Amino acid sequence: MPHVIIDGHIYEFEGKPGLLQFCLDHGIELPHFCYHPSMSVPANCRQCLVDVGAPVRDRASGEIQTHEDGNPVIRYFPKLQTSCSHVIADGQVVHTARTSKKVARAQQDTLEFLLINHPLDCPICDQAGHCPLQIQAYKYGPEGSRFEFQKVHKPKKVKLGPRVVLDAERCINCTRCTRFTDEISKSHQLTIIERSVKNYPITPPGVTFDEPYSMNVIDLCPVGALTSADFRFQARIWELASAPSIAPANAKGSNCYLWTRDNLVLRITPRHNPNVNEYWLPDEDRLVYHRFNANRPLGPQVRGAGGTLCEATWDDAFRAAADVLAKAGERTVFIASAFATVEDNWLLLQLAQSLGAEIAGYIEHIEPGHGDGWLRTDDRTPNSEGCRRLGLMPVDAVVLRARLAAGAIGALYVLEDDPIAAGLCSVEDLGDVPVVLHYYNTTNETLHAAQVVLPAAMVAETIGTFVNEDGHAQRVVPAKAIRDTNRTLMMQMGLSRADRHGTPFDRWHNEAHYVNCKPSWELLPEVARRLGVDLQHGGPRRIMRKISEKLPAFEGATYEVMGLQGVLLPERVAEEAPENA
Amino acid sequence: MTKAGDWQSYQRVLLPPVRNLHHLDAYRAQGGYDILRTIFNDWKPEDVTQCVKKSGLRGRGGAGFPTGLKWSFMPPANPAVPRFLCCNADESEPGTFKDRQLMEFNPHLIFEGILIACFAMSMKACYLYVRGEFSSWITLLERELACAYDANLVGTGMLGTNVNMDIILHKGAGAYICGEETSLMESLEGKRAYPRIKPPFPAQQGIWGYPTTINNVETLACVPLILDRGADWFAGVGAQTHPGPILYGISGHVNRPGVYEYPTGMLITDLLEIAGSMRGGKKLKALVPGGASVPVLRADMIEGVTMDVESLRAAGSMMGTAGMLFLDEDTDMVAFLRRVARFYHHESCGQCTPCREGTGWMENLITRIDDGEGNLRDLDLLLDLCDQMEGRTVCALADAAAWPVRNTIKRFRNDFEKRCRPAVWAGVA
Repeated sequence: MPHVIIDGHIYEFEGKPGLLQFCLDHGIELPHFCYHPSMSVPANCRQCLVDVGAPVRDRASGEIQTHEDGNPVIRYFPKLQTSCSHVIADGQVVHTARTSKKVARAQQDTLEFLLINHPLDCPICDQAGHCPLQIQAYKYGPEGSRFEFQKVHKPKKVKLGPRVVLDAERCINCTRCTRFTDEISKSHQLTIIERSVKNYPITPPGVTFDEPYSMNVIDLCPVGALTSADFRFQARIWELASAPSIAPANAKGSNCYLWTRDNLVLRITPRHNPNVNEYWLPDEDRLVYHRFNANRPLGPQVRGAGGTLCEATWDDAFRAAADVLAKAGERTVFIASAFATVEDNWLLLQLAQSLGAEIAGYIEHIEPGHGDGWLRTDDRTPNSEGCRRLGLMPVDAVVLRARLAAGAIGALYVLEDDPIAAGLCSVEDLGDVPVVLHYYNTTNETLHAAQVVLPAAMVAETIGTFVNEDGHAQRVVPAKAIRDTNRTLMMQMGLSRADRHGTPFDRWHNEAHYVNCKPSWELLPEVARRLGVDLQHGGPRRIMRKISEKLPAFEGATYEVMGLQGVLLPERVAEEAPENA
Repeated sequence: MTKAGDWQSYQRVLLPPVRNLHHLDAYRAQGGYDILRTIFNDWKPEDVTQCVKKSGLRGRGGAGFPTGLKWSFMPPANPAVPRFLCCNADESEPGTFKDRQLMEFNPHLIFEGILIACFAMSMKACYLYVRGEFSSWITLLERELACAYDANLVGTGMLGTNVNMDIILHKGAGAYICGEETSLMESLEGKRAYPRIKPPFPAQQGIWGYPTTINNVETLACVPLILDRGADWFAGVGAQTHPGPILYGISGHVNRPGVYEYPTGMLITDLLEIAGSMRGGKKLKALVPGGASVPVLRADMIEGVTMDVESLRAAGSMMGTAGMLFLDEDTDMVAFLRRVARFYHHESCGQCTPCREGTGWMENLITRIDDGEGNLRDLDLLLDLCDQMEGRTVCALADAAAWPVRNTIKRFRNDFEKRCRPAVWAGVA
């Protein structure tokens, strides 16, 4: 097998790997800025320089020449090579900064150059703390600077588009952003202008950087030149904790990180998943986080004698919900939710079955023409495929309204959705049919017609599984804590949360940021218990294991298998009846 | 056979003394396009390349790469894959103005060279990339090219054969970097002129990703002469390893600056004499032998040095474009270097870090020295920056910016030190 010797260690390789990617794949750190695995290689930052030598072959025989001790004669390239553009060949010898003073010096020199015109405003820069330039300057850079002149001045706080702000002085001209718009999103909305040390990326005249994927350049930018108009100056990165999650704004289920501070989600960034979204995340998925923080309910409420919703204890609310269900019995109609997890919908199915009642299906949220065949879909819910795999179909609004009009419905139990805003029925249609509602935000219009309202945990707060439109089952873990003490949620919160947000002794700790809600997989068993139905499940992990064992459509979708990258479910067998569940 | 020694009897061939040679009629009256017809009728493409190889023609654009060898790098002709010739007329190195003369006085020689080269490499089209500032010569080239098309010397079914060839004039926007072959291609494709990484070389992936050969104007102008008069004639003109007639663009403090056609391998002192010696009878101080980027030579270094690759290398400089800049004894080398550094700072495309940042920093430092506020340590820093830039970028512009700085400081260090503030102030114990 062909091999390459990097810093004295022998590595075997196949095909024609690029040296930089090969090193990164094998845990050898090489500093770099402009290189990105999914884009072309411009080799312009000159940071990843290495010393490469190749064995000398005899011209006549083609044999590799050897020294007397049997080692091959190595001839080094006259210049240092950029590892990003260098393709490894058999027998080559590579020296990185660890074993070559020449390389170490070259990398130090490049960093000195990069920093001379960089404003070094790290104390007020959003990128500080996770800035490749900052990190590499500390690791590989020179001590201090020999530059004694005025730095180049370029435009600052330029609004390239509605979501991206440019600080051209910080730019190191790696061209990742322009290559993204040219090669990945193909919007061609960014270009480099000017020349030499004055150049920087900007939109061509008359163009606004408003493409639906514009915010990806913020993550690509190795410095703080491109910042989010939304997140700019909101938080220091070291005060944030991140949790791996799934973007809920569409049915693609792009993998993301939710970044929280003081129990508020402050931004969403993409998480690499080669099978779903690669490195990218559409802007719509990044800006949904306001829903996690704002307009959240204060607690459960029950409509009182006066006709207004009054605050209630959880116990009273569960009892009231159970009363509604007990009274309506079989005439209860359950409405599942494509916003809720597979586990929650499954529990709803169980509850409906135990009452002998019917599930009308889930509410569709289709926005025709929104999808682009890439990471945005017409479907604006994260889990409609999961619902379909559970045997649930979209609710037929005509049928539902007819049945409401005929008085055939005794009660409506709505899981994590808003039938009135979705146009399923109106307040008048509902009449005096009591509604039990699991809801996220106080903007939910069905609140006006509901008898019992139970605040449910959102995707940022719960544990569960979403299935994207391609049948990829993926887990979410909580990024935010809820006010309630829930051991299962806390266990999944991850260590990065506990130390920064877990205690009231944090200087930014604010009790009001803890929403008084519960995950639906806790609400539904509580309601069921008061109806004398046992839905105890031992946590979403066990629910999912049970689902994966019982339903062929979810075969193999256990938490252990899904991990952080999800699992592709088997092809769905068409039209599974709910009775199979 | 013309040796460099008997340059007095040299008959000009690139720019012969013929009135109105830039008109097609005058050019054809001199036997122009005859050899093209002969080649089309009687030659095989390989033989043309072989002939150019044998002549020992080396690129006149600055790098001096053997032209025939470059042509032979083209992959075998495949009718399904287009391939292009590109003629680099983006002449913008300071001190270089020879191609302009060719375009002005002998454009048909360029066209003929292009067509022969296209024939040799089985190409159907050539892009003639002309520097944007040359607008009047672009107009002239356009007019003469139209004449050539009308005379059926270019175009569909040219010269009554079934061969089609096109020459496409392209006007650059005036960036120095577009003279670099790969960035010229980027510019031609309508992109920002950032040089490409090599490999792949243009012969593998050039314009639009197709095999491309790119030659300088003067190189291509030599091609009809080689085929007309024979490879042996060409190889016998001038220096042995770097033969042929060459255009010396002489400028600076001489009495008669201008473009002079002579064989290669001329003694620098002879050329100075040809250009009418130094202005005002002053002494020569320095010489830049091949355009602003090549290392400067001190007056005492040019004795016996001839204008060819080997001799100049031995003297510590390079042939470049043979744009010779003579500087007299009153020249302020710091100011000279400041101007050169300013040029490279201004023209760096900004793609690679060392060049983008280094050229500006160098200019800053030299300006400070020129203003009398520099320190002695700045000179060492400048040399350090040269080390940090050389050989670490995609194209050779960083090298071109670093060489004059390094060599001017090295060879005129006294001039620089005199302008710097002393390292230790007098009176400070």
